Amino acid sequence: MTRLPIHRLATVATALVGLAAGRSVVYAQEPAIPPAPMSALAPANLAKPRPAAPFNLTGNWFIDNSPGIQGWLFGPATIPKLKPEAQKHRDAYVKAIADGKVYRDDIGQCWPAGVPIIMTRVWPIAMIQLPTVIYMVSEFMNSLRVVYLDGRPHTDPDLVVRTFNGESIGRWEGDALVVDTRNFTDDPHHWVDQGVPASGELRIVERIRLINGGRTLEINMTLTDPKNWEGEWTGTRRWNRVDDIDIEEVECLPDLNEHLQSTSSKVHVR
Amino acid sequence: MRKVLFGCVWALVLAFAAPVLAHHSPAAFDRTREVTLVGTVKEFRWQNPHTWIEVHVPDAKGNVVLWGVELTSPTYLIRAGWKSNTIKPGDKVTVVVNPVRTGEPAGIFRKLILADGRELTERPARLGTPDSK
Repeated sequence: MTRLPIHRLATVATALVGLAAGRSVVYAQEPAIPPAPMSALAPANLAKPRPAAPFNLTGNWFIDNSPGIQGWLFGPATIPKLKPEAQKHRDAYVKAIADGKVYRDDIGQCWPAGVPIIMTRVWPIAMIQLPTVIYMVSEFMNSLRVVYLDGRPHTDPDLVVRTFNGESIGRWEGDALVVDTRNFTDDPHHWVDQGVPASGELRIVERIRLINGGRTLEINMTLTDPKNWEGEWTGTRRWNRVDDIDIEEVECLPDLNEHLQSTSSKVHVR
Repeated sequence: MRKVLFGCVWALVLAFAAPVLAHHSPAAFDRTREVTLVGTVKEFRWQNPHTWIEVHVPDAKGNVVLWGVELTSPTYLIRAGWKSNTIKPGDKVTVVVNPVRTGEPAGIFRKLILADGRELTERPARLGTPDSK
């Protein structure tokens, strides 16, 4: 006869008592833990056979500002029909400008700029491309954007940690890299552009090509955010390769704005 | 009048051609106005994302007002001939700024004139043009 260990006997006894009392017995169970994806930097992931990438955008890039300021901002002429709540922000922004004020300059208060703003401003970006991933480091507060190329899907919405840069998944299509970015934060300090807010429903699809003999990145952007506007919002940005600059450490330190009086000026509408 | 108009147009050209790498909105500053500050350096901070100068400036009533002047980052100032010790506390300087719109003693940098007459500006951020090497 097989003898049960004493702790197993106690468990069986507890179950029998519970059943005798007409109650179902629920035991603590191991939580269902999703399998961890293989890291983009795991040697086994990097070594997986893949088609060769059409181009490598490793380098330092600076937005092409030759079209003037409206060439790299989205610009009011392109703004789609906004939903009522978003329109209130936009109207308040336009009024602030007319009054010589500044509306909700959260970046100036050290909130992250996030995507798409870091992709539409004069802050240089370092990009490092591997077979499985592209790391983008903006000189704006060294903001990190990661584009996964290893075939993983977007993270389960119940598990994802929403961020200002969102979660970017890329795939190669012909001569283009198509990057689909979702899972943005719902934080009210996240903006798309001048007075237009971003929500957690924001989704951005970028179609990126390397042109001009490898010296220019052309990025066609399509933005949707059904909480804030109707339809698609599109625009194109070009970034030129710069070989005489490196990204430096840039941080919004607690004493920064104490010495930049403009950031606490009465000019601001919070 | 023609000279004033030219000055305004040139200010606009500079504003578009040389966007300063800022962590805040440039809309706080009145790009059509210039204020010339003559005073004594309190602090010169060589730092990202902004270098800044604090200058004690006597006003018309004899009060000393502390002005804050915001500049771009050292990366670009170096290319315009600046060093971390270009100015130091106690130096007599003249600084030209575009002031904030509200009249508070703060502005964004346009030009520095040192005691020996040398002038320094910011290098226009023309990085990334197709012909850049």
